[in-house]
Amino acid sequence: MQYSQKVLDHFMHPHNVGKMENPDVVATEGSPACGDQVTVYLKVDEETKKIEDISFLSYGCASNIATASIITDLAKGKTLEEAKKITWRDAMEALDGLPPVKVHCSVLAADTLQTAISDYEIAHGLKEVPNFGKETILEELKKIIYPQVGEDIVSLKMVKYVGFDKGEVLIDMNMMSFDQWRDNVAEEIREHLGKYPEVKNIQINFP
Amino acid sequence: MTPGKIYMDNCVTTHLAPEALEAMLPYFSDKFWFPGSFISTGEASSAALKEFRATLAGTLNAAAEEVHFTSGGTLANNIAIKGLALANSSAGKHAIVSVVDYPDLLTNAAWLEKQGFEVSYLEPDAEGLVSADKLKAAIRPDTMLFLTTIVNHVVGTIQPLAEYKQVLAEAGHRIFWHADAGQAYGKMPLDVKDLGVDTLSVSAHKIHGPQGIGALWVKKGVKLAQLIHGVNRVDAFQTGGLSIALIAGFAKAAEITFANLDATTSRLRELSNHLLQRLEATIPEIELNGPRGEGRACHNINVSIAYIEGEAITMMLDLQGITVATGSACASQGLKANYVLMAMGKNHVQSHGSMKFTLSRYNTKEDIDLAVERLAEITASLRQRSPLYQSIHPQEK
Repeated sequence: MQYSQKVLDHFMHPHNVGKMENPDVVATEGSPACGDQVTVYLKVDEETKKIEDISFLSYGCASNIATASIITDLAKGKTLEEAKKITWRDAMEALDGLPPVKVHCSVLAADTLQTAISDYEIAHGLKEVPNFGKETILEELKKIIYPQVGEDIVSLKMVKYVGFDKGEVLIDMNMMSFDQWRDNVAEEIREHLGKYPEVKNIQINFP
Repeated sequence: MTPGKIYMDNCVTTHLAPEALEAMLPYFSDKFWFPGSFISTGEASSAALKEFRATLAGTLNAAAEEVHFTSGGTLANNIAIKGLALANSSAGKHAIVSVVDYPDLLTNAAWLEKQGFEVSYLEPDAEGLVSADKLKAAIRPDTMLFLTTIVNHVVGTIQPLAEYKQVLAEAGHRIFWHADAGQAYGKMPLDVKDLGVDTLSVSAHKIHGPQGIGALWVKKGVKLAQLIHGVNRVDAFQTGGLSIALIAGFAKAAEITFANLDATTSRLRELSNHLLQRLEATIPEIELNGPRGEGRACHNINVSIAYIEGEAITMMLDLQGITVATGSACASQGLKANYVLMAMGKNHVQSHGSMKFTLSRYNTKEDIDLAVERLAEITASLRQRSPLYQSIHPQEK
């Protein structure tokens, strides 16, 4: 499957790209080692809680750049409550789809927007720092895309069991022994959970 | 925009030479026959095949009967590696390969492991060179097979064949040696009488011949187990109906490339040097992957462009009709960073930002200047968007 014309348009001429002077919040997700990184800048109206301005930077592939561009379009002018509902699925839909193997690149931009909103809310006393637990792990696993079909591993029922106890994460996966994406998925799980200081060790079991 | 107007991905496949197309046409139509005896059609085909085989043999300083046509380089590699291993496994079941070898060799090595062979994997140095000392250290009394890729397909490193030859000669027992010459053939002199290898694979479409045809050189007296069973129409190893037309195109492409190999390679070297010089002069914070100068094949330049990602770069170049390759994980179907660059000790950022240019005689200096100019613009624009670049160069806007 090829990239859609919309992906190409946003990739070649991204909207809201560039560093923002004096933003209210900046969030960066991903890492060069994972192959992509996105930074999102927000200016938020303190009264209305509307996103007045938004911009991004991206170290990543075409799909990463295009998704970041469309995510900023989707979030601009929305209230934080509205913007919280924006997911990678919305971005993908707005881009007329992505090749399955590239869907995982779209998650990062949506994720970075959510981190920026959450950081803003915490900094402005609008919410507490969330406790890390099984729920957090599950939310992270929902961001991991199985590249063959372009769906997340939780929706695909690939996660059989999640446990968390004293810093130890235990995940039982339901993937065939010959599945060529096992290493990719395991690596992504480690990247997603490894960023939490609460996580000391991650054990992933495959059948 | 014409796709691939400026084509610099010649290690994958090359533009068919018009002369090769011309040479093939009669064998697709009037002269469609297979070789045979006693009847004029078969005799004519046999005579043509004999001539084509002699042409190919001449390019390797080989005897004509040592040249076997196959449906491409991968078939040749499979026939040689599996054939050598199965015919000689009573002498030992240990093989040596390097982690930077061409996928054909690595996947065959994995197959050997499934057949009960043990395989040692040699590591390269920072420039992709696999030293003869590492080969020497890996040799065991039961080693029967050594595989090598003469010119590395990613960074163009030329492996030290003469040193390998000496190490194998001093091993104290017979070790069969197969070489993949896919990227070496037509890019440097290959004299099979001198190289010391037992089998060597080449491919037509890497030298402006047609796709779907290659050849395997098998040293006289070396036995290969028969892998493909059937009627010997054109060749004893790959039985069945190999296309005489494709062989005719292969022979013509080889004839042109080798008519003056020195001239062919010095022109490619000159183009590559020009490309590297332009890249280094035009784009800041760029580094060459693999060796500089004579240790590198004359058609390959591989660089890492810091802070940006290769799939984005190749796509932007592609939209302007310029075809190059990248080692970025994002551009690979398996979503893995290039294994050769990683084995050389490069990090993920260097691999994701790597660009591979492989040139051919159809490239011009003007093509190169235009491609570098476009690449410089793309680099500047992607760096403006890159949080990595912005964090290191915060003063620029």
